[in-house]
Parts: sequence; structure tokens; C-alpha cells
Amino acid sequence: MTRSEALPHYVESSRLEHFVNYEVLGKTTLRVQRWRDQWKLARRRPRPNSPLNPPLRSVAHMKEIMSRHYLEGRYAAGVRKVAWVTSGAPTEPLQALGYFLVYPENHAALCGVRRKAQGIAEEAEHAGWSRDICSYARTDIGAMISGKTPAGRLPRPDVLVCCTNICQTVLHWYRVLADYFECPLVLIDTPFLYQEAHDHEVAYVKRQIEDMICVAEEIAGKSLDETRFRDVMTNARRGAELWLEVLNRSQHRPAPMTAFDGFIHMGPIVDMRGEAVTVAYYERLIAELDERIERGIGAIKEERYRVLWDNLPIWFKIGDFSKWLAERGVNVVASTYTFAWGELAPMIDPSQPLDSMARVYLHPILNRSTGHKLASMRRMVDEFQLDGVILHSDRSCKPYSLGQIDQRDRLVKTLGIPALLLEADHNDPRDYSDEQGSNRLEAFIEMMEPRG
Amino acid sequence: MEIWGPPHVERHEGSRHFQAYTCDIVVKAMSFIRSGGLDATKAILVPHTCDALQGMGSVLGDFLQPDQRVLTLYLPRGRRSSDHEFLRRELGRLARTLVEVSGHEPCRDDWDEAFEAEDAADAALADLYRRRARLAISDRDFYTVVRSREYLTAEQFCDQAAALPEGEAPQRGVGLMISGIVAEPALFDQIEAMGAYVAGDDLACGFRRVYSASAEADPLERAANRLLTSPADPTCGTPIQVRVDTLQTRMRALGARGLLIYDPKFCEPELFDVPLLRKHLNAAGFPVLHVEFEMGDRLPYQTLSRIEAFVETLS
Repeated sequence: MTRSEALPHYVESSRLEHFVNYEVLGKTTLRVQRWRDQWKLARRRPRPNSPLNPPLRSVAHMKEIMSRHYLEGRYAAGVRKVAWVTSGAPTEPLQALGYFLVYPENHAALCGVRRKAQGIAEEAEHAGWSRDICSYARTDIGAMISGKTPAGRLPRPDVLVCCTNICQTVLHWYRVLADYFECPLVLIDTPFLYQEAHDHEVAYVKRQIEDMICVAEEIAGKSLDETRFRDVMTNARRGAELWLEVLNRSQHRPAPMTAFDGFIHMGPIVDMRGEAVTVAYYERLIAELDERIERGIGAIKEERYRVLWDNLPIWFKIGDFSKWLAERGVNVVASTYTFAWGELAPMIDPSQPLDSMARVYLHPILNRSTGHKLASMRRMVDEFQLDGVILHSDRSCKPYSLGQIDQRDRLVKTLGIPALLLEADHNDPRDYSDEQGSNRLEAFIEMMEPRG
Repeated sequence: MEIWGPPHVERHEGSRHFQAYTCDIVVKAMSFIRSGGLDATKAILVPHTCDALQGMGSVLGDFLQPDQRVLTLYLPRGRRSSDHEFLRRELGRLARTLVEVSGHEPCRDDWDEAFEAEDAADAALADLYRRRARLAISDRDFYTVVRSREYLTAEQFCDQAAALPEGEAPQRGVGLMISGIVAEPALFDQIEAMGAYVAGDDLACGFRRVYSASAEADPLERAANRLLTSPADPTCGTPIQVRVDTLQTRMRALGARGLLIYDPKFCEPELFDVPLLRKHLNAAGFPVLHVEFEMGDRLPYQTLSRIEAFVETLS
């Protein structure tokens, strides 16, 4: 029996569709779009009325990479096994097994940036989900039940992998997905680290990763190739190291990129860590940042205040905030959120993949104590020579937000720098008041004036 | 002694540390601690069952640092062998810390004695639920005894449970199943006044704590077994379909005609399941009503009206 005879008809048609629409037409179109974007960016001159310098040229490459990823997703079903995973899930074995990975959180953020999240989340609310649950979850559940998405189409999952190292919300969210898609849910439960990790916590996570690999192998119908797995781990480490370097470039004055740029450029390290394309992309981005540093070009034209952003971004306001703050000489140069995908790079050890994965996936900032987050913020204030901290009190992200009131008080009292609690939501515009937010930010900037 | 967001405690002290979108159980428990409500204790144990309790344990330990030692216990979200092994070792870690706090190293007889007493109390609680229809007490009185398991010693609880009078239960009207975290006493009076009664519950402070006894010799193994054999519970990661099946079976057996989901505001573990519980239970012929409340406050007229209308539709 030949290979094609062994395959069901729909798989063959899926492969053809994948080849034509993704491999040939899709990739070519996106490459042409990238050339066009690069051409436009290369010819773009600083706008006299804009407080921002021209965007990074690399953004054209990132747009191509991310669009290609979402485009492949449209045609992945029947060609590759599909796993829907949380942003902190140990995905390296899945990548080595050839899975196509969908990150519902990233998809929800995409909806937020495109300002489509509210309408999609309302689909979930009309179906009974409360406005008090995470707006990412509402956006994705809304997309799932209505089919509405700016990404075109998300492939149906063969397996769901939920890791609780970012929040407990994902467990409840993924139970809903499992009920809807009637597919297996693999749970990687990561005990919250109030202090340092204990041996039994590391052993627990390692064993669950081993169990996940068994399930993933069974669904994929093949065994994990150790060499391929090590390659993915090597790329994951290198990608994370480079991402950390990208972020640390903003220690320079003026900072060559803002944290708002970082929120956008983090796409590849979240969605495609472990892939060579991510490594290549961040090498390119670093080269461009170094060029900016050498030429003394900052992300904003007049950098008077340097600020830290804590928590997720307010996706639907990224552009507005970036401009509004830059107009007032504020450059948000660092964020605790974007660092989460880089700071653990030294823990990734491709020669001991499972042991190191167990440690890495236990230690994201969101799985560590409120005291540890405060220590991270203090370190960043020092390393980035910051003048203030904006703590986004994110109604939809309780593990990130609870503790911020005491963190703010300590930043103000012990470091003597202004710190603002800004009430909003990462994806739901109904939970942010422009007028109130602007007033509070104005007052915050006034507090920084003696430092400017 | 357990604290479930005690009533008659204001939010404001806890609100100095937690945002307005934090659940009452955490904010009011923090107010209670900060106002000296637990001054008589040597340690505060914060179990990890959700993001809000996680924040509470972390803020207490890192920033507020009360005189008492702050202890934590991570409860795994699955029922797999890996969860069992982890919980056994996690309980061992907690036990070692408790030895430090108390200055007492329990011997084998101490463990056996403690388990014997707790097993008896667990059995008494399970027996209360089994005998509910034959207990001549109101729902309010029944749940007062059920919840006394939170603060009485095992022996005292057994005595109290055994002393309940048998006879015809004063349960009249429409039988309801209540789900959620915790129901405060006034709700039972209101339900009775509406011509309904509580046929059964799926409350975190009620039926979800009916544990099965374990015969393991090793005390930590036994404690882990006990916790991991609790009934279906979203905070433990029970799949939704299992919850639905369990609820349906119990509602049929107990004669409950509808499900009242009674959740404190901002309780994500409960909120996520609501639409699917409604969908699946409606399909099985059980109407569902979901209401949210703020702990310690009088039930708003609007909420009572909704429950009343729900009861009327079931009559």
C-alpha cells in the first residue's frame, strides 16, 4: 500500500489546500507584503509633529512571521496535529513532535490590538459567561462559539495543554474548551512558589511533562525524536537569551525601543519559541537596535522620564498610550511582563531537557510571590535608571494584580519614586475610563517633574 | 478554625491591600486578620485553591508579616498518581513546619488518634447528609451544624451531629439544590419563606467536604487520599461533564427540581462553569438560576425576587 492510499481522502485534500494556500500562495503573498512594508519604512522620514521616531524596520519581518503563523493555522487541520496551549506551557516536546501550536491568549491579544475584543467577548457574555471572568477567556470563548476572529480561522485542537504557571484561570478556561471541543485536556499543574522551589515541586512538574509527552506521542502517532527535541530546546534557550538582550538594549539612554514596542515584538518568543525563525528574527532586531544606539536614536524624540510598566499591556490602548506618553516626554522603557519570556533563559539546559523544563516552567514571574515581583521591579528601577512605575491594575489578571497595592507603597516609600496604580483591563475597553486614566497619568507625570 | 470571609466584617481594612475586584472571602478574611480576629492563633494556614487565595497568602507572608507564622498548602488540581504523590510530599512539608510552630513532634499514636477522630467526624458529616430527610430540623439549623465542622473539634462535632433530633424533616414545597462556595444562614430562611427547601448542596463549605476514610498506614498517604477523594469540585479541576453527571444524579436522588448557583462576586472557579452547567442541566430537565452576592450584606431585594420567581416556576 502506498502512502497516499493509507491516508483518508480529507487528509489528502487538507494537504493540497495547505500546500497551495499556505506554502505557495500564502508565503509568497506575505513575502511580497513584507518587501512593500520594508520599502515604505525605509522611505519614511521622521514626522515633525509626531513625538515618536519612525518605527523599527524589523517590524515588517515580525508582521510576516506572525501572519505566516496564523495563516498556517487556517490550513493546519488534517496536516499537522494541533495543540492549543497556554502561554506558559512547556511546548518544546510538542514542537519536536511536529504539532502546530495555537496560543488562545495571543489570539485574544490580537483581537484586543485590532479593537475587536469587546464585540467578540460579548458573544461569550450573551452565552452566559460573566463579565467578571478574564477578558482573554471571554474573547476566545466568544470566538470559539461565534467563529468571529480577525485571524481568519483557528484550527480545531487535537489536544489542549494547560499549564497553571500563569494563573488558575486557565484551568477553568481550558475545562470549558475541553467540554466544547470534546478533546483531551492535559494539565501541567505548577505549584505557586511562595519561596524557593522545593524538590517535590520540581519532581511533580517533571513527571507531568513526562506524562504530557506520552499523551502527545500517542495522539501524534510517533515517538519523540531526542535529537529534534534537543534542537528545539537549544533554539528555545537561544531565542529567550536574545529576547532578553533585546529588552536590555533599553537600558541605553535614549532607549531605542519602548515597552509598547516590546509588547508587539514579543509575539515570536511567545508563539514560536523553540523555532529557528525566532532566533533569526531577534538577531535581526538586535542588530537594528544596536544601529539605533550607535546613532543615538531613541524610540521617542525627547526622553525626559523613563518608566517601568507592570502587568499586561492594555492592548486596545497601546498605540494611544505610546503617543500620549511620548508627547509628554515619557518613555516606558521596560515591563515586567515582557521580561517573563527572557529572564529564565539561563535555566534552559538542552542537555537536561526535562529537568530544566521542570524548573523553568515553575519559575515564571507570575508563579512567584508578590515579594519576588517587588524585588524584580526594584532591580529594574536600578538597571534601567527609571523615574517612575506604572502598575496596571488589571481587572482580568488577578494573580498579576493582587499585591500591587503593597508593591506600589513600598516602591514609593523605599525607592522614593512615583508609582501609579492605573485601573484598567488588558482586553476590555469597558473597564477603562479615558478621562480618569489621563487625569491620573497627568498627576503621575507631575510627580516625576523634579526628576526630569 | 476556618475563616470563610466572616460576616459583620467590613471590607475597608482588606481593601487597603486588595483591589475592588477581589472576592469578599479574601478581602474580609484580611480585614478580620488585620483587626486582630486571629490574634489568639500561632499560625495562619492559607490553602491555595484559587488566584485570590494565592494573592492573600503571598501578601500576608511578604508584606504584612503578622505575628503568626503564615503557612501555605498547595492543593493539586488533578486526581492523578502524580497529584497524589505531590500532595503526600506537600503535606509532609506542612507537617514539618507545624512541628516547628508547635514545638511538638507527633508520635505514631498521636497520628492514629488524630486520624481516628477526624475519620469519625468525616463519617458523622457524611451521615448527616444521608439522614437529612429524617432530621427534624430546618435547613438553617442543618447547615449551622454542617458548618460547625469549620470550628469545632472533631469530637465536639461528632457529639453535636449525634444530638440532632430525628423525625420528619420540616422540608416543604419545592426542593432546590444549591451550588457555590458558601451560603449564609439568612438565605435558608428566605428560601423557606418562599415555599422551598434545600434538598441538597454542592457547596465548597458543605457537601464538597464530605471526604472518604482511607485505611493507609502512612499518615501522609492517608491524608492525601482523604483530600483527593472529595466530591466533584471545580477548584480541584473536576471536568465539567463529571460535575454535570454528579449533580444530575444527586438532584434526581434527592428530589431537587432546580439548581440555584449562589456565588460570591468575582469567584472565577465557579463563574466559568455556570453557562455549561446551565446548558447541560437544562437539557436534562433541571432549570438553573445563577445569582451573585456580596458576603455579609443583606440579600438585595432584586436577588430575592429572582430566587422567588425561580421557585415559582418550579412549583
